[in-house]
Amino acid sequence: MSSLVIPSAFATEDVRRTVLDNGLVVLTREVHTSPIVTAMIWYRVGSRNEELGHTGKSHFLEHMLFKGTDRFKKGQIDLITHRNGGGNNAFTSHDFTAYYFNFASDRWDVALEIEADRMVNCAFELDEFEAEKKVVIEELKTGLDSPWGLLLQDVEAAAFKIHPYRNPIVGWLQDVERATVEQQQAYYRKYYQPNNAILVIVGDFDTGQVLNSVAHAFRPIPAGPAPPPMLLREPEQLGERRLVVRWRSKVPRLAIAYHAPEIGHAASYALQVLAVILTEGKASRLYQRMVEQEQSVTFVSAEYGEAKDPTLFHIRAEARGTHSIEGIESSIYDELERIVSNNVTPHELERAKHQIEAHFILSRERTLDQALLFGQIETLYGLDYIDSYLQRIGAVTSEDIEHACTRYLHENNRTVGRLLNDGSGQESEEEGETG
Amino acid sequence: MKPAELGVPRAFDVHSHVLDNGLKVLLVENPSVPTVSLNASVLTGARHDPEAKAGLALMASRLLDEGTENRTSLEIAEAIESVGGAIESDGSFERIIVSAGVLNKDTDLGLELLAELLMRPIFPQEFVDKEKERTLAEIASAKDRPQVVAGWAFNELVYQDHPLHRPAHGYPDTVERITRADLLDFHRRYFVPNNVILSIVGDFQVPVLLPKIERAFAGWPNQAIAFPTYPKPVRQTNKREKYINMPAQQVNMYLGHLGVTRTNPDYYALQVLDTILGGGAGFTARIPQRLRDDLGLAYTTFASITMTAGLDPGRFISFIGTSPENMKLAIEGLVNEIRRIIEEPVTIEELRDAKDYLTGSFVFAFESSAQISRFLVHAEIYGLGFDYVQKYPDYIHAITVKDVSRAAKLYLDSENYTLVVVGPVAGNGNVSTQESAK
Repeated sequence: MSSLVIPSAFATEDVRRTVLDNGLVVLTREVHTSPIVTAMIWYRVGSRNEELGHTGKSHFLEHMLFKGTDRFKKGQIDLITHRNGGGNNAFTSHDFTAYYFNFASDRWDVALEIEADRMVNCAFELDEFEAEKKVVIEELKTGLDSPWGLLLQDVEAAAFKIHPYRNPIVGWLQDVERATVEQQQAYYRKYYQPNNAILVIVGDFDTGQVLNSVAHAFRPIPAGPAPPPMLLREPEQLGERRLVVRWRSKVPRLAIAYHAPEIGHAASYALQVLAVILTEGKASRLYQRMVEQEQSVTFVSAEYGEAKDPTLFHIRAEARGTHSIEGIESSIYDELERIVSNNVTPHELERAKHQIEAHFILSRERTLDQALLFGQIETLYGLDYIDSYLQRIGAVTSEDIEHACTRYLHENNRTVGRLLNDGSGQESEEEGETG
Repeated sequence: MKPAELGVPRAFDVHSHVLDNGLKVLLVENPSVPTVSLNASVLTGARHDPEAKAGLALMASRLLDEGTENRTSLEIAEAIESVGGAIESDGSFERIIVSAGVLNKDTDLGLELLAELLMRPIFPQEFVDKEKERTLAEIASAKDRPQVVAGWAFNELVYQDHPLHRPAHGYPDTVERITRADLLDFHRRYFVPNNVILSIVGDFQVPVLLPKIERAFAGWPNQAIAFPTYPKPVRQTNKREKYINMPAQQVNMYLGHLGVTRTNPDYYALQVLDTILGGGAGFTARIPQRLRDDLGLAYTTFASITMTAGLDPGRFISFIGTSPENMKLAIEGLVNEIRRIIEEPVTIEELRDAKDYLTGSFVFAFESSAQISRFLVHAEIYGLGFDYVQKYPDYIHAITVKDVSRAAKLYLDSENYTLVVVGPVAGNGNVSTQESAK
C-alpha cells in the first residue's frame, strides 16, 4: 500500500559493528565524499540514572570531561581541536551522554586518544569543579528564562511521579548547588567504562587501519563492573493532571503530554506517523485547523521522541491574539476524537509516510548526522531498529493509528500545563548617551 | 564531484549560465546522496523596506507559498508534502530565499513549484490578513526572550537612521500598515529574473536539468530595477548605553558597535581576530576562556565582527548572559579583552593557531548540498569567485600579527561602544535587589 522507494538499510549499509574484549562497541562506516571524519563516543548514562537529590550529575560530568586529565591538561582538549581546525561538543539527554569530534581526515586520530584517556582519567580538580559549577548554574538559569523550558519542566515533573524522566537533564538548582567533587567522581567511576560505551566513527578512512588504532587506544582499559540497572517503572496514570505556571509573558502557552511507549514498541511507529499527520507541514491537520482556519495559534506541534523507557507524546501550542487557551485545548482534543471516530484518510497516511521517509534520507548527508543516528539507536535499542524502521513505518495502518490514539491519547493519560501571565507588565527602559 | 583531497573541501565543478532573461543559474552535480537542494535568491530584503512599511520584504517572502495563479496554499503544501519534500520561503535584510529540498526523483516538481512561487504568487487578501496577525503574535512572543530584546535595542542604537536599525519583521505599527497592494507592488518591482540567482546542487545531470530550467522560467520578462538608496551608516564616536528591565534569572548583554561589509579588504584579518578574541573551537578564544572557563560567569559568551558582515556593514558584537550580580564584572571583562586586542599585538602562537583553525575547519562549510548551494550564492553576491574554495587558505595564511593589530585599531573601539543590558536591572543600570538576592 505504501510506495517507499528507499529501504532504510540504506542508512546502515556498510556499518561495521565490532566489540572489543573489554566490551566497547565500535561502529564504523566509511564515507569518502568529503575529507572529514566524525568520531563520537556514547555512554549509556543520562538523567534516567540519577537518584533523588543527585539530579544533574550526568550533565555536570559532561562539562567536567572538558576540564582535563593528567595527560590533557585543562584547555588542552579544546586547544588540540582548535589547532587541528576541528570542532567538538557534547550533549546529555535522559538516556545517554555523547561527545564528538569533527576533523579533517588527515588528522582525526587524536580524537581516539582523547576519548580513551578521559574515559578513565578525568582529573576532577576541586578548583575546576567549583568554577564549572558556576557555568552549569548559568546554563540552568538560561533555561529558566525560557517560557517553554519552564513549562515543560513542570509538565514532565507532573507527568512522571516516580520515573527519573521527571527531572530536568541539567538537574534541579539545589542539587547542582550541593553537588560535591567526590560524588561526581564516584558517579564517573560507576558509569564511564568501555563496557558501557559505544564508539562511532564515520567518514573518510580505511576501516582496517581505524580498527587497529581503536584497539591500540582502548584495549588497555579494563572492563568495569556492570553499572546498576535502572529499575524504576512509572505506574499507570489514572486521571488527568493539570497545572499552571505563572510567568511574565503576555503570550499564553499550552503543553499537553500523554504517556507513550518506549522505542521499538509496536505502537511507537503509529504514534510517529500520527505526529506527522497532526502537525508536520502546512497540509497537516492541526496546522490547517488551528493556524489557518481558527487562527488561534502561532504554531502547534506534536512530537513523539524515541526513548529507552516509556516516554511522552507532546502536543504544544502558542496562543495568538485574544484566543483563549481553553478553545485551543478543546480543538486539539476534538481533532484527536475525529481520528478515533473517522480514522485518518489513506491519502494522509501515505503523505505522512513519505514525509518520514524523505526526512530520514534528507537529514543524513553529513558524517555527524550519520554518527548521531547510529550512536543514538545503538544506545537506545540496537542498530537493527534502523534496518526495519522504514518498513515498520510503511506497515502502519489507519487502524493502528486509531488504536494508538485510543490507548494512549486519552484524558486519563494526560498532563496539561498552561503558562499564563503573572500579572506583571511590560519592561521599562532607560538609555544614556555620553562622550 | 571529484574524489576528496586531504584537508581541503572536495573540488566541485560549477556550471554557470545566464538565461536570456537575465536569470543567473549555478549548478553543481553531487551524486553522493539521492537528494537535490534548490535555492532561489532574490536580491532584495528588509534593507529596501520603506521606513513606514518596515517588515514588507519579510512578509512578502512568507506569503509566496500561500497561493499562486495556479494553486491554492493548500494545493502547494499538498504537492510538496505528498512526496516528502519541503519548500520554504524566508527573508533577511539582503535576500529573499525560496528553497526546496527533495529526493532526486522529485526534482522536476521542486523546480516547478520554485518557479511558480517566484513568478506567480497572488498574495490572497485572506492570507495577508492572517500573516499580519501572525507576525504581530510572533513579535509579542519574541519579547519574552531577553537575548532577542537586547539584540533589537542594540541595533536601534548602533544603526540609528540606517535601515538595519529595524528588526527584519518590522514593528507592530508598520506591519499593520502593509497592504496587499504593497506586496504586489514589491513583487512587481524586485521579483524579476535579472535580480535572481538560482543555485541547484545535488543528484542530477546538468544537460538534463538545464533545458528544464530554461522552460520553467521562459515566460519571465526582465526589467530594470531602481533600488532605494540610503546614506551609509556612521560608526558612533560616543558611548551609548541602554538598560531594559525584565524580571529574569540572568542579564543578557550586547556590547559593540558598527562593523564592516563582507567585501572589506581586511575581512580575513578580522576573521583571524574574531577567532582569537571570541570564536574558535570550544573555549579557546580569549573572551570565552576568560569569562566562561576561568571566571565561570556564563554558559554563553562570544564576540565577532565578521559574522554579520554583508552588503551593508554588520556589527561588532560581544555577548554574555550572566547572573545579575556579575553584571559589572562581565562588562569589565568584555571591555578589557577588546582593549587588550587593540593595544597589544596578539602572540605568534595565537596567530598560528587561529590560522590553523580557520583553514582546517573550512572543509565543514561544504559538506551538504544545501551548504554548497548557499556558498554559490555568496560567491556570486560578494564577488568571491568559485575558486574561493582553493584560494581561501592563501587569504588566511597571508595574515600577519601586524595585520591583526592594524585591523583591531581600525575596526574595534573599547570606549565608544553601545551597551544594551536586558534583565533585572533598573533604568540607571543598578541591579534590582529582589532579583539578585541569594
